[in-house]
Amino acid sequence: MNKNKQVIFQSVLLDGLIFTFVVLSLLVYFVNPSEDQLLMLSRNTFLSLGVFAFSGVVVFLLNSKGIHTIGHILFAEPQLSEAVQEDVPWFKKFWGIELIVAFIIAFYASFVVTEFSFYELFSESGFLGAQRIFSSLLNPNFEILPRAILAIIETIFMAFMATVLAVPIAFVLSFLCAKNVMSGHKVLFAIYGTIRTLLNVTRSIEPLIWAIIFSVWVGIGPFAGMLALLLHSVASLAKNYSELVECISEGPVEAIKATGASSLQVVWFAMVPQIVLPYTAFTIYRWDINVRMATIIGLVGGGGIGTMLIQYQGQALWNEVGCLVLVIAVVVWVMDTGSAYIREAIK
Amino acid sequence: MSEPILEVKNLTKTYSNGVQALKGVSFDVKQGEFLVVIGLSGSGKSTLLRCINNLHQPTGGSIVFKGEDITRIDGAKAKKVRSKIGMIFQHFNLIPRYSVYKNALSGAMSRTSTFKSIFGSFSKKDKEKALEYLDLVGIKEKAYIRADQLSGGQQQRVAIARALTQSPEILLADEPVASLDPATCHVVMDYLRKVNRELGLTVVCNLHFLSLVREYADRVIALKDGELVFEGSPENIDEEWFETIYGDAAKEVHIN
Ligand SMILES: Nc1ncnc2c1ncn2[C@@H]1O[C@H](COP(=O)(O)OP(=O)(O)OP(=O)(O)O)[C@@H](O)[C@H]1O
Ligand SMILES: [Mg+2]
Repeated sequence: MNKNKQVIFQSVLLDGLIFTFVVLSLLVYFVNPSEDQLLMLSRNTFLSLGVFAFSGVVVFLLNSKGIHTIGHILFAEPQLSEAVQEDVPWFKKFWGIELIVAFIIAFYASFVVTEFSFYELFSESGFLGAQRIFSSLLNPNFEILPRAILAIIETIFMAFMATVLAVPIAFVLSFLCAKNVMSGHKVLFAIYGTIRTLLNVTRSIEPLIWAIIFSVWVGIGPFAGMLALLLHSVASLAKNYSELVECISEGPVEAIKATGASSLQVVWFAMVPQIVLPYTAFTIYRWDINVRMATIIGLVGGGGIGTMLIQYQGQALWNEVGCLVLVIAVVVWVMDTGSAYIREAIK
Repeated sequence: MSEPILEVKNLTKTYSNGVQALKGVSFDVKQGEFLVVIGLSGSGKSTLLRCINNLHQPTGGSIVFKGEDITRIDGAKAKKVRSKIGMIFQHFNLIPRYSVYKNALSGAMSRTSTFKSIFGSFSKKDKEKALEYLDLVGIKEKAYIRADQLSGGQQQRVAIARALTQSPEILLADEPVASLDPATCHVVMDYLRKVNRELGLTVVCNLHFLSLVREYADRVIALKDGELVFEGSPENIDEEWFETIYGDAAKEVHIN
């Protein structure tokens, strides 16, 4: 019964949202509101909530009449939904039609919103633009090559330093946010929860945003970029590492504990040997990711080749941009292949 | 075989999920004996051994080890007691990536400071001890091979060497041969007997097969649903006792 209530709640929520989306989309299509009308946040919120409440009621009534919606199909236990047993193709059932209608509307809406235009893509002026930029990009100006190389070295070291500094911090954190290590005591579990949450928040903020924050804090340049990468690397590596710690096999841990070893000795002798190789693989992969990210971060003032790229792009010096793009592509390709090769070797 | 080295009185253990694994178990372990614990799967044999060396905290009752109450201890005290109690496991539980020698040496951890052990600097005496015991279980020539490249029986012998390197005063073995074939089974059991007879080390060993019990045990205790149902010499386990201990499953086991 409890399970039943949960299913009803989940399907009312999901289908309510789908119905609301469909109704609001149709409304926008037929009423064709002006921009002013679209910007009236409180009135539109009120309207949406009204539609949502109405949809919820409709979904509830439909389900109780035995007409099953997507939510019901997804969340109900198989024995609860008799619909599965009927011999009707899915696209003739209510939930199938609901799915198709919602998908078509969403697809059409995304065309409109992204201003998708075959005309722009293939018009004559469009072609001329494409021709101009490609011919410049494909004729790189190699005079700036020496400076480009210096800049990409800066980028690589930025990524390297961020990775190296992140490893010991993430190593310690990974044990503090591994469930099997921290579930022994209430205090430990509280620390586990806090660190997990902090890391999740940190990770959900893009390094690009951190770079903007740090470029104001410590000034534009490679240091700001490195700090942004460091923070993001710590959060990502700690998560990767802690998942490895969580699937450590208990046997050796128990055996070392049984010899009378201290907690640190247990970690060092029974846990670390089990994780050291996958740790290394993740670390190399992170460095590889960091080189790519460092390039992007440079675009917002994080230093290195990204900063150089954005300067030339601003002046529409496409031949110079071509040279930089080439250098970046080569380095990223080498890093990518190299790191994949090393990771394969230490498996 | 005189005064008890270990006295277990009225021991109870209830896990946090409410399972009552031990319901008041009492017995003595005499100095120098080879005591075998038998019982069906789930009867509480592993729980009993884990309570003795404090890997699990007993819920009630008492455990007295060499005259000292060790029922409720933690921190440094618990580590000290564990270091005096060697333990062997069904799945060997060696560190796979380490050499046989390093695995044996890890038994000396409690005598080595955390700092020194992290840098792998163990005392000369401990290193000699590890090699000596690897020799005792006949595996010294494999000392520098990685532990995960050995067969199951060889790994269990390394585990015995690791436990001996602790210089324990009692050895607990939790179904040490349950994942080995019958022939290897006897090799490992023979080494446990050698340790018991030559070093005079007291052994408490969980076993499944009655044939092994008859061959190796000085004395037997049997658990059923967390309670002690038999205590005596192996010859005294007759048909009737056998069915009491193993219940309905007895008929199946009997065919083997
Ligand atoms: N960590 C644990 N948490 C909760 N219950 C447990 C735990 N370990 C064992 N139990 C339960 O306690 C009871 C006794 O288990 P125990 O492992 O001591 O039996 P056993 O005699 O060693 O069995 P086996 O021959 O299968 O190893 C079982 O019912 C088991 O499910
Ligand atoms: Mg067991």
